[in-house]
Amino acid sequence: MAKLYVKAVPPADLNRNTEWFTYPGVWTTYILILFFSWILVLSVFGCSPGIAWTIVNLAHFAVTYHFFHWKKGTPFAEDQGIYNRLTWWEQVDNGKQLTRNRKFLTVVPLVLYLIASHTTDYQNPMLLFNTVAVIVLVVAKFPHMHKVRIFGINADK
Amino acid sequence: MASAVVNFLNATLDWVTFASDGPSARAVVFGVHIGGHLFIEVFLLVVILFLLSQKSYKPPKRPLTNKEIDELCDEWVPEPLIPSLNKELQYEPPVLESAAGPHTIINGKEVVNFASANYLGFIGHPKLLDSCSSALAKYGVGSCGPRGFYGTIDVHLDCEARIAKFLGTPESILYSYGLSTMFSAIPAFSKKGDVIVADEGVHWGIQNGLYLSRSTVVYFKHNDMDSLRETLENITAKYKKAKNLRRYIVIEAVYQNSGEIAPLDEIIKLKEKYRFRVLLDESNSLGVLGSSGRGLTEYCGVPVEKIDIITASMGHALATEGGFCTGSTRVIDHQRLSSSGYVFSASLPPYLASAAITAIDVLEENPNLIKKLKKNIAFLRKGLSKIPGITITSNPESPIVYLRLEKSRGSMKDDLHLLENIAERVLKEESVFVVVSKRSTLDKCRLPVGIRLFVSAGHSESDLLKASESLKKVVASVLGGQN
Repeated sequence: MAKLYVKAVPPADLNRNTEWFTYPGVWTTYILILFFSWILVLSVFGCSPGIAWTIVNLAHFAVTYHFFHWKKGTPFAEDQGIYNRLTWWEQVDNGKQLTRNRKFLTVVPLVLYLIASHTTDYQNPMLLFNTVAVIVLVVAKFPHMHKVRIFGINADK
Repeated sequence: MASAVVNFLNATLDWVTFASDGPSARAVVFGVHIGGHLFIEVFLLVVILFLLSQKSYKPPKRPLTNKEIDELCDEWVPEPLIPSLNKELQYEPPVLESAAGPHTIINGKEVVNFASANYLGFIGHPKLLDSCSSALAKYGVGSCGPRGFYGTIDVHLDCEARIAKFLGTPESILYSYGLSTMFSAIPAFSKKGDVIVADEGVHWGIQNGLYLSRSTVVYFKHNDMDSLRETLENITAKYKKAKNLRRYIVIEAVYQNSGEIAPLDEIIKLKEKYRFRVLLDESNSLGVLGSSGRGLTEYCGVPVEKIDIITASMGHALATEGGFCTGSTRVIDHQRLSSSGYVFSASLPPYLASAAITAIDVLEENPNLIKKLKKNIAFLRKGLSKIPGITITSNPESPIVYLRLEKSRGSMKDDLHLLENIAERVLKEESVFVVVSKRSTLDKCRLPVGIRLFVSAGHSESDLLKASESLKKVVASVLGGQN
């Protein structure tokens, strides 16, 4: 008499602004986007692979810092403003820290930094840009930085 | 601080450069060349592995400090499920034994009725009765469902079109319950994070709408344009940075709790200066103000397009039930899916919509009804002025003649008790039915209480004279005894 009823699993994330990151294949897509961005930069600028990786790393830094750590709230009115004070990083996984998705998103800038620095042979000025980008991104993702606004930067009102 | 950051970065870069170019960069261990880069890469890999080995956890909420705990304990008062009732709150309203026209029967005795908002005297009007009978024969009594679920009857669409035509707006929407009109319309537009500036004298239906919208509500002093200007200025400065913010001013045309009339022309100037939207409740001004009864916009000479959202109850001048909201097509269409009172309630019974259409027709055919009403208001006010101990505080054109005590007894409860005593004696001894304004425990309005007389075009001069004479006599007796 086993399995007569379907057991519905409650949804892991009700926030439409962050639940897309729980879909299967998101990690693969994320990595493929970075790789194809690298290919695109190589094709368009005709630069060396190291410079291309640096450009991808810096672009990734700019995009993810803005959308994950700066922009607040959700674009959906149904949330009734409950997330208006939270960045995307603070909303993801309902605020739970050191989850698999958070670890993945923290490892990606580190690996990008390794690739960019290695392929530029650890030479300045690329090393400076890459190091600043990775430090800012990783520090912003620390569990201790949850809901912290340094010197009131990007605080509400 | 900035220089410290720069020094830190320089030191880090120097270390990285040193590590990659240091003497150990050329070391050979067991035949394997150890490059300086390897140190950095191994270090970062160790960091990654350390990160991956961490267990996930929910961040604990910041524990309260002792001071915060003490503050919370001091503030906490266990709230009773219902407020305590005492003898004074147990009130038996008079029971009507006939229709609530200008005259009605209470306890087997005919009385002059000033307790019903029958402004145009349409209660019992033969044309409205015929219209209801025809609609009943054709449609039956109820509509049996919400508007979106087979509850739409053609007479609803006719009524909406008729109201829009009468008021000069593109479209209107019907609600089945007059009180719920405003507290469905407000939450349909204003959400958490938006700001509403409301008059402190609005009635409970509007207050409930403000509460249900979950918006930030700021009250300004009753009908005080300086207070409104100051409030709008403060809010505009305070929310300067917020981008996706909707801002509303909520007012009544004729305030149910005071009988005052809002100065709409001044409010529109302020609305346009500070970029707010206006929600206007015309329940007590429709069919009353303006030369043809189109309400406060006609009375103040303001184009109806300047008001973003107009609501009104049809249970007052039109002598039917339900309510409507009128405005631009966009405003009306939004409510067809977003307004709870429209989407989830059964729609207005068809005979009531039919009665509303007929009432508007009769009003347009008989503009002298409005003139008669205005004359009656002026006549009653003249008779009620100069009564020692009470004063008229309503607007000279308001159909609600509002009497307040000149000197308060010190608390709302004592004032209510005294006023109820007056109303009771006026009813028993003089056969004149008036009401004392009542505030439920949910009502936040803090205006002084008083006696309200709802004037009707159906009242005769002898009725008005009887009311003023009887009030004069009873007030002299009651207040004379008190003093």
